Amino acid sequence: MTAALEFCAVEGGYEPGLPILRGASLAVQQGEIVALLGPNGAGKSTLVKAAAGLVPIWSGSVMLGGRDITRVPAHRMVREGLGFVPQTENVFANLSVLENLQLAAALVPKERRGSIDAMFHLFPDLARQRSLPAGRLSGGQRQMVAVARALVASPSVLMLDEPSAGLSPLLVGVVFERLKAVRETGVTILLVEQNVKAALAIADRAAVLVEGRERLVGAASDLADDGRLAGLYLGAGVH
Amino acid sequence: MLQLIADGLVVGSVISLGAVGLTLTYSILRFANFGQGEFLTWGAYLAVSALSLTLAVTGAGVMAPIEPFSFGWQLPVAMVASAALTAALALALDWALFARLRRTGSAITLVIASFGAALALRNLLQFLYGTLPEYYTREIQIAIRLVPRDTLGGLRVTPDQMLVLGVTAAAVIGLHLLLTRTTLGRAMRATAQNPALARVAGVDVEGVVRATWVIGAGLAAVAGVMAGLVGQIRPGLGFELLLPLFAAAILGGIGSVWGAVAGGLIVGLAESFSVPLFGAEYRLATAFLVLIAILLLRPRGLFGEKA
Ligand SMILES: Nc1ncnc2c1ncn2[C@@H]1O[C@H](COP(=O)(O)OP(=O)(O)O)[C@@H](O)[C@H]1O
Ligand SMILES: [Mg+2]
Repeated sequence: MTAALEFCAVEGGYEPGLPILRGASLAVQQGEIVALLGPNGAGKSTLVKAAAGLVPIWSGSVMLGGRDITRVPAHRMVREGLGFVPQTENVFANLSVLENLQLAAALVPKERRGSIDAMFHLFPDLARQRSLPAGRLSGGQRQMVAVARALVASPSVLMLDEPSAGLSPLLVGVVFERLKAVRETGVTILLVEQNVKAALAIADRAAVLVEGRERLVGAASDLADDGRLAGLYLGAGVH
Repeated sequence: MLQLIADGLVVGSVISLGAVGLTLTYSILRFANFGQGEFLTWGAYLAVSALSLTLAVTGAGVMAPIEPFSFGWQLPVAMVASAALTAALALALDWALFARLRRTGSAITLVIASFGAALALRNLLQFLYGTLPEYYTREIQIAIRLVPRDTLGGLRVTPDQMLVLGVTAAAVIGLHLLLTRTTLGRAMRATAQNPALARVAGVDVEGVVRATWVIGAGLAAVAGVMAGLVGQIRPGLGFELLLPLFAAAILGGIGSVWGAVAGGLIVGLAESFSVPLFGAEYRLATAFLVLIAILLLRPRGLFGEKA
């Protein structure tokens, strides 16, 4: 079975000679939620940015539904069906909520263009705030705008970089509930998280990235009880 | 009094149009383009050529004016042609110079390159057109008295001057609609705010950059033609307006379209009022005093957002 998203021995980084990704491999199957965990600075954000076309990939490849997207320019990824919600500054603050969604919808071909009303249905809070500049919303609501902006382009795979960062535990719960609902609609999710507990609770599988390589990959429920997980976070490493 | 206001608004309109282009390129390309003034000059002169060509092709010889204006239908046609050609000039410059520097250089490199480009453009223009002043039309326009002399000093304006105000208003409203109602406009605003996120959302940022050059240079060409319509067309036309353009864009809060419009009108009014107060030599100095005064009160400019 072809993976929905697959990293094959990806090497890359921001500056030549300074690799951040050192042969990372990971397959995300159709319909899964996979959590990408790992200590600060492991390269989790770099990996998803590389897939999104924002960080150069020197060798290896990224496949989306069996198609090689390694060299696809960033702005064409939405057409390929890859959605990405960056960790910070992930909404257009000076555009209204509605304009954020209108822009994203207009930039994909008709067959991928989702309905904005459906987004307001999925995120009812946003419907009421539709004409406010997105920058004026609270952190949780901004996160919803960012997710809705990616979803309105009907991605087959959605990558999210720490959507829980800066949110209260209550809001984390709300956002993750929405992600589960998103997965129910058939979207495959790769979820980068620092919040290990919350991530493992909704993920099917998880991978731990250390120094630019995956070190531990398994079912989320197994990893939750795996002593090695904490070890990796402490930098002990496993062999 | 009224006359000074009217004169100031006419000059201010030209400055506004140029400053809007400047503020757009600044917010999307992230550098201050010192070539913007030369786009005004080139716009004015390219319209002279387009006008001669239109007259030659139609065998008209001279324009038959459309009453009450001083020019015939050929001038608007020439202006559209000139806007297209000036936009093409900006695109060529971006391709040959700025696009390459964007990949490697810093903002200051781009600013200095734009300074060099401005010098080259001005010299090339003088080489092609010479230094003698040109006019679109030799028709003498009779100014219409709108307000009698005993009321606030009276007010006389020519239909051409009123047209300049109208064209500016139409251009700015058109730009506003473009920025707020179209996908291109939203993509431009998105790119100005966060280029990386814009790409993630599917915006072809290089395409947006090209559109910005076309709009900025096109508006500059219109401003140049307007300046030529109510004054002389000289090789120094744009260069002399460069500092007022910057003053207007900064005054309004760089990056803000409405700010650039307001800034342009304020600078125009300040220049106009300085003539009876301090003498014509101090027009620019007065404009700058106003700029400094406003920036002391509002460091981000009138409409500037916080960084
Ligand atoms: N824009 C950048 N330019 C250069 N180096 C960067 C940049 N962003 C991140 N890095 C470096 O890449 C490494 C991995 O960072 P990141 O992918 O953000 O880790 P994580 O998301 O796992 O915390 C870090 O050493 C960080 O300093
Ligand atoms: Mg990160």
